[in-house]
Amino acid sequence: MSIIGECVLAFVFGSAVGILVQRSRFCNTAALRDAILFKSFRNTKALLVAMMILTMGFTVFITLGDGNPMSFDVGLNQVIGLFIFGIGMVLAGACTVSTWVKTGEGDIGALWALLFTFIGMFLFSLIWSYNYWPPAPSSMTGNPNLAALQFGHINAKTLQERFGIPAVVFGIVQTLILAFIYRAILKKESVEKVNV
Amino acid sequence: MLEHLIVGVSILDFFKRTLDPVIALSIIAVLDIFLFVSIGAWTVGGGETMMTGLMAQAVMGDELSRLPFWNLVFEPDAGYWKIYISLGMLFGAFVGAILSKEFRIRFPRRLSEWVLISIGGLMMGIGIRLAFVCNVSTFFGLTPEINLGGYLAISGIIAGAWTGSMIYKRILEG
Repeated sequence: MSIIGECVLAFVFGSAVGILVQRSRFCNTAALRDAILFKSFRNTKALLVAMMILTMGFTVFITLGDGNPMSFDVGLNQVIGLFIFGIGMVLAGACTVSTWVKTGEGDIGALWALLFTFIGMFLFSLIWSYNYWPPAPSSMTGNPNLAALQFGHINAKTLQERFGIPAVVFGIVQTLILAFIYRAILKKESVEKVNV
Repeated sequence: MLEHLIVGVSILDFFKRTLDPVIALSIIAVLDIFLFVSIGAWTVGGGETMMTGLMAQAVMGDELSRLPFWNLVFEPDAGYWKIYISLGMLFGAFVGAILSKEFRIRFPRRLSEWVLISIGGLMMGIGIRLAFVCNVSTFFGLTPEINLGGYLAISGIIAGAWTGSMIYKRILEG
């Protein structure tokens, strides 16, 4: 696909997401924060259903040799980075999606969060240019590099290639685990309804 | 004629009611599978980083290339498709808000809100770049691809959301 084709497709996809998120009031921050603080699972259930559909969809296409899975080494930087991000999104009251969506609704606070996200990214680029961690994608090998706290590159595609097990098998296992969590939430909600 | 009228009424109805997030996210998931097959799964952090680079380049010019990050990790490129997902979300939300008459300019009321949003935004920006992923690629990309990075990121974001919620609770309680 041409660069312009990719950009147009990305914009059309983003527009559809923007409308759907705006109309549904879905929020990834709320999916985690509300479950922790208020035991409210409206957004958590939506997140789980989406993950189930995506897991099956992605792994079926990976099994058929299609799709474009992300490919880079992972390590402790994912845990630390998303830990910092998790605190930040609760404090800001918005995640990467809701900052854009709320900005589109005229929320200046969300625009302010977006601006500071850009500033945070630029500050990180200054730090990275000094310590070069985590490793740049060009220096990643796909194998563990414990000195750099990297575990290599593992996903449904590499598992399929390494063990000869179709990616969709891993997808089915993950979908069942997600369905089990979803069912547990529904049970919890029905018990609470009865108690009310 | 009648069909057009019915379609018109249902579109108007769509912008009057709040959509069930399970339905909205199911539609987004199906669209994300098409995107995954065409160019790659939904992500936001990469596009935001590229926008940061482009804005920094506009301000600093060639000086930016003295920072290795902007040569080795993200070389500013306006043709990077992930930028346009974010711009699309902004546009889609604006259209949705206008058609549902929910668009209005609003500001955080208290100084403490401005401070929390600033700190939160900074932490989100630093966290995304440190992890190479954002919350969207964690839940809607990496994890459905059975990527080890997705599980690492989920453990981090749940621990972070819990810590953030405890801080938030303390603030609420004064």
